[in-house]
Amino acid sequence: MIFFTEAVQYLITGLLVGGVYALMSIGLALIFGVMRVMNFAQGDFLMLGMYVTYYFAAAGGVDPLLGSLLAAPLFFLVGVVVYRTLLVRLRKGRDPQREMDAQLIVTLGLSLLISNAALMTLSPTPRGLPSSYATTPFLVGPLLINQARSYAFLLAIILSVLVYAFLTRTDLGKAIRAATDDAEAAAYQGINVSRMHQVAFGIGIALAGTAGGLVATYHPITPTVGMDFIVLMFVAVVLGGLGSVFGAFLGGLLIGVVQSLTLLFFPLQLQNIAIFAVLLLTLYLKPRGLFGQRVREV
Amino acid sequence: MKKGSRRRCRVNGLRFATIVVALLTIGTSLLVSLAYLPSSSAAADVKIALIVPLSGRYARQGQLKKMGAEMAIDEINASGGVKALGGANIALVTADAGDTVEKAVSAAQRVLTREKVVAGIGAWLSSFTLGITEVSERLHIPWVTLSYADPITERGYRYVFQSSPVAGIQATRALDLVVDLAKANGRTLKTAALVGDTTATSVAFLRPLKDKLLPAKGISVVVDESWSPPLADATPIAQKLRSAKPDIVFYGGINFPDSALFLQKVKEFGLAMPIVGVGAQMVSPEFLDVVGKDLVNNVMAAVASHPIRGQEALIEKFKKRTGEKFMTQDPLSTYANVWIIKEALERARSADPTAVRDALAALDLTSGPAASSLAPGRIRFDERGRRVGATPIIAQWQGGEPVTVFPAELATHKPAWPWH
Amino acid sequence: MRRLRSLGTIALVIAATLALTLLLQERYHHRILTLVLLWATMGLAWNIISGYAGQISFGHQAFFGIGAYTTVLLILSVRLTPWAGMLVGAAAAAVAAIVIGVPTFRLGGIYFALATLAYPLIFRILMDFLGYQEVPIPLATSRPGFYMQFADPRAYDLLSLAVFAVTLLMSHWIENSRLGYSLRALKENQHVAEAMGVDTFRCKMVAYVLSAIPAALAGAIYAHAILFVVTPDAVFGIQVIVQTLVLSLVGGAGSKWGPVLGAALMVPVSETLDATIGDVLPGIHGVVYGLALILIMLFAPEGLYWRGHALLRRRHAAPGSGRRGIAAPSSPSRPVRATAVGGPLLEVAGVSVSFLGLRAVADVSFSVAPGEILGIIGPNGAGKTTLFNALNGFLASARGTVRFRGERIDGLAPNAICRRGIGRTFQVPRTFAHLSVVENVMVGAFARERHRGPARELALQALAFVGLESHADRPPVGLTTLDLRLLELSRCVATGADLILLDEPLAGLSRDGVTAILGLIGRLRAAGFTVLLIEHTIRALLQIADRLVVLDHGSLIAAGLPGDVTKNPLVIEAYLGRRWLRHVETLRT
Repeated sequence: MIFFTEAVQYLITGLLVGGVYALMSIGLALIFGVMRVMNFAQGDFLMLGMYVTYYFAAAGGVDPLLGSLLAAPLFFLVGVVVYRTLLVRLRKGRDPQREMDAQLIVTLGLSLLISNAALMTLSPTPRGLPSSYATTPFLVGPLLINQARSYAFLLAIILSVLVYAFLTRTDLGKAIRAATDDAEAAAYQGINVSRMHQVAFGIGIALAGTAGGLVATYHPITPTVGMDFIVLMFVAVVLGGLGSVFGAFLGGLLIGVVQSLTLLFFPLQLQNIAIFAVLLLTLYLKPRGLFGQRVREV
Repeated sequence: MKKGSRRRCRVNGLRFATIVVALLTIGTSLLVSLAYLPSSSAAADVKIALIVPLSGRYARQGQLKKMGAEMAIDEINASGGVKALGGANIALVTADAGDTVEKAVSAAQRVLTREKVVAGIGAWLSSFTLGITEVSERLHIPWVTLSYADPITERGYRYVFQSSPVAGIQATRALDLVVDLAKANGRTLKTAALVGDTTATSVAFLRPLKDKLLPAKGISVVVDESWSPPLADATPIAQKLRSAKPDIVFYGGINFPDSALFLQKVKEFGLAMPIVGVGAQMVSPEFLDVVGKDLVNNVMAAVASHPIRGQEALIEKFKKRTGEKFMTQDPLSTYANVWIIKEALERARSADPTAVRDALAALDLTSGPAASSLAPGRIRFDERGRRVGATPIIAQWQGGEPVTVFPAELATHKPAWPWH
Repeated sequence: MRRLRSLGTIALVIAATLALTLLLQERYHHRILTLVLLWATMGLAWNIISGYAGQISFGHQAFFGIGAYTTVLLILSVRLTPWAGMLVGAAAAAVAAIVIGVPTFRLGGIYFALATLAYPLIFRILMDFLGYQEVPIPLATSRPGFYMQFADPRAYDLLSLAVFAVTLLMSHWIENSRLGYSLRALKENQHVAEAMGVDTFRCKMVAYVLSAIPAALAGAIYAHAILFVVTPDAVFGIQVIVQTLVLSLVGGAGSKWGPVLGAALMVPVSETLDATIGDVLPGIHGVVYGLALILIMLFAPEGLYWRGHALLRRRHAAPGSGRRGIAAPSSPSRPVRATAVGGPLLEVAGVSVSFLGLRAVADVSFSVAPGEILGIIGPNGAGKTTLFNALNGFLASARGTVRFRGERIDGLAPNAICRRGIGRTFQVPRTFAHLSVVENVMVGAFARERHRGPARELALQALAFVGLESHADRPPVGLTTLDLRLLELSRCVATGADLILLDEPLAGLSRDGVTAILGLIGRLRAAGFTVLLIEHTIRALLQIADRLVVLDHGSLIAAGLPGDVTKNPLVIEAYLGRRWLRHVETLRT
């Protein structure tokens, strides 16, 4: 019985943590799905989102949950700017394989640039947003459910649903999906594929920034925090299926749950090995992931 | 048609220019590197090297250490410098150990071969210190460090001096204190939890507790959790603590966010048990900003040094100088280490590193700023380079400030034990 | 000649480095030199799998770390000298490469990269877990040389130089060997390489193992010369692969000089930055590396070495004249193969291929006699190319058998089928764009010839047979469609194929081109080849084909002499159309 309660507690904790992973990951999945770019810098935009939300709170007294939403349009613009100055130059249409590799390397360079520039300019002193709801739980029987993480989880779900609705119900969203499925055909239909990529990238970065704000409600803020999350995001996206936004959402939740449930059987130290094991198993056994489309198979 | 080719010309031109600029930058920096001249300072200055992390994850700790060293040097120079060397001033040569062992060792190689330093201090992270002292030992330059890791002085090196009590000793003293404290408050400790990351210092603190010290006192270990930083979520640890209900928690965490997460979960799960950590990062002011003073209240930490009775003036001076909320081990130990080197210089009457090393080995101070900063007030090193009788300080957060509570004769406050 | 020049340059670089070893005075400068050599070695190692073979690995630091930890742990546990421990580490890395490579090489592109990323991360956690988070190398007071500990930093320079030189020579050897050509081919287009007889899996594994060994050696020396304390982060951490990537990509992947150039530039730059302004601007090193990656990808994605190479080549552009020589239709040398006397060359029996429930090829059976030209016709989507893919080994047939010279070949890998004697061209010509014309054909020649010299001879012969020998040394970019098809054909010929599958060889050609190809097919038959060709232009087929086979909706609806097949009402209904019938009548009259 005790084991059962413990297991349920772990499951709930995993889901809450996974909800925010999910929000981080759908940004990454959207960018990959539309542009076939694996954005290494996603974690660093998350870090910037944390700082922006912190400054909103410190300077303007803005509640971080609200602050993270306010960060979204700001980061959308940042994403658009990054796309137009950097990524669009790589789309020369010569060789899709080389193009993807080039984009991969550029985002890696961007990640190095952002995290180190942050180290240079921002103080290395960790910052935080101490709030009562970061340390107060909802009590449901014997289960403790952290408030801050619950709010973050709810917001993450809502935002994910909004993104999903955007992609499936609005014209712009459908145009983006068309550009994903077949860029050439979409172009013939009069869709400005480049602009679709721009919008998708902007949304992806906005999601990273917002997720950062949500994470900041319970996680200390340092310039190098991006590195800690990027691998998790990759695993979530691969698990869900590269290119599937819904898959990445589920993947994020699953990763959170896996991370938590492995502790029922394994020591804490090996927790992250379970994540990497999931990554490898997915890649080896079902590289499409849960909902992925085509896999660039060998 | 024309527009396209014009644009292409412009892009080509831009490309070319970028490549040229890049190559020029590279060329210039290569030349600079090869012709690098050591920093110019007055010829009569005596140089001490300070190699600490100034960038990367541990930059904050490095900066604090630098502040302490600078304060000591200003004091020394203001009071006439090193009298035995004709009033020579001390100059600090700083190098950034970065966040990798490679950078730390490179910094050591660079500074110790280019500058005429008489001794060096650093480097906070034990792996950095281990690497740097390999270089300093081979170059016969004495090194004074506050790192706790036992291996630092177990290599049979002659030029390494560890002014802190090693982690094993810290564990012993910390345990003694809490057992006595509990008894004085009508409590016998029967169970303990060991929670920490896998970094060397945490392991060096927690493993002796698990293997020898706790069993010797008849205390059983009911929770033993460790993680490779960074910690994703402290919930499982808090859950285990909640079900096992240990009488005391021993904690070791070098990565600040991990400790913040841990304390948050402790509060959330309503865990009310004494927590004893190791290392000065447990008493850093950041906790107030990030988790608030309530969460950290009553947490104890075993550190190499902390402001003790009689040091009020020093603390005030430091706070006014730097704007820091309080002075902790990092600046205090480097402050002390600089004064130790100064005393050695006075005794050696020479700026030759080997002579300084011999003076350090023969040092026996019972007064002065160095001795009064490091408990129990005596500076003497054994043949391994460990400070004889080095006693850790136990600090405790009380009312939003970490204060010294042990040893009693040096404490500024009485230890609080609110757990019944 | 080019190889001699290359060896000469290698000797020059080694000599220059030796000179530097002697000239540099400061200990710190020696450290920089050692770092340049070690990182260059790491870059060269990475280049073998990620540059030559094009499989971008983000996990090469796994081997680096294995080398470092193995060496140091063996010293601590059994007091084994690191000179031997280094070799044990290299062996361990080779084993790790096999273990990692077997499951991972099935993946491509980003999937491969992500999978390789996981391993060093796992090793990092394991080393922490096992208690090896800080392993200092014990100072050896007696016999320091035995423990690879030298007071004179020059010794480390020389040691790194030795490993660097070996790796450089190994890269040089790979570039000029069969393995090198195979890797470059599979990098460009893995399917076509397979069809040309390259065992892509084996080649990738060999390359991976060869790339792991220098990485491990570099790691072992790095631990002794640079670190003195081995931590999981220092040798398995992300900064190792970042350093490797930056210098290899800035210098230029795919060539042995790229990583060398990159290391010679980037390592001193980063050390200088750390030394000069690193205190004032902490993290400047990372910023510069990030900028370097971005700028290189934007402006010179192939790397500085290749950019320079291209600029120089344009200066001395070889005049690849477009005139095709009036080739004497010499017969190319054919491998001697045991032929089953009599009997068909190829027997297809009941082959079926389905995709997601759609039956692309349904129960097709026919046979091909030696020396015959068999045409395959049918409407679009009839399953013609799919049939070729099944014969070739690209697709598995769910049922049925394919026998070549009496032996079953269904289920074999494409490269095995190629080596048995079946060659293939593609609907859209697929050449290896970064290889010259003759090198393209050499990839095929390597299917039956191990060594470069004879392979080149075979390739030139094959080129002469199709009439492309004057284009031998130019890159295939800019060739006409006709020439591209000839190139593909000569590649097949070079593999020693007896049966050649031509997929719409006449598509996109002018009347002259069609005539040329048809003439060549005739010459192929005269030289003893058997040809299976898919075509839409019936008129052309009627001129050349001995027999026809008609597919519709995946099924074979007719087979036989062209005259009979074209009058078959089923065929007319499905494909030719009634107007054709009237047209044929008018042709005949």
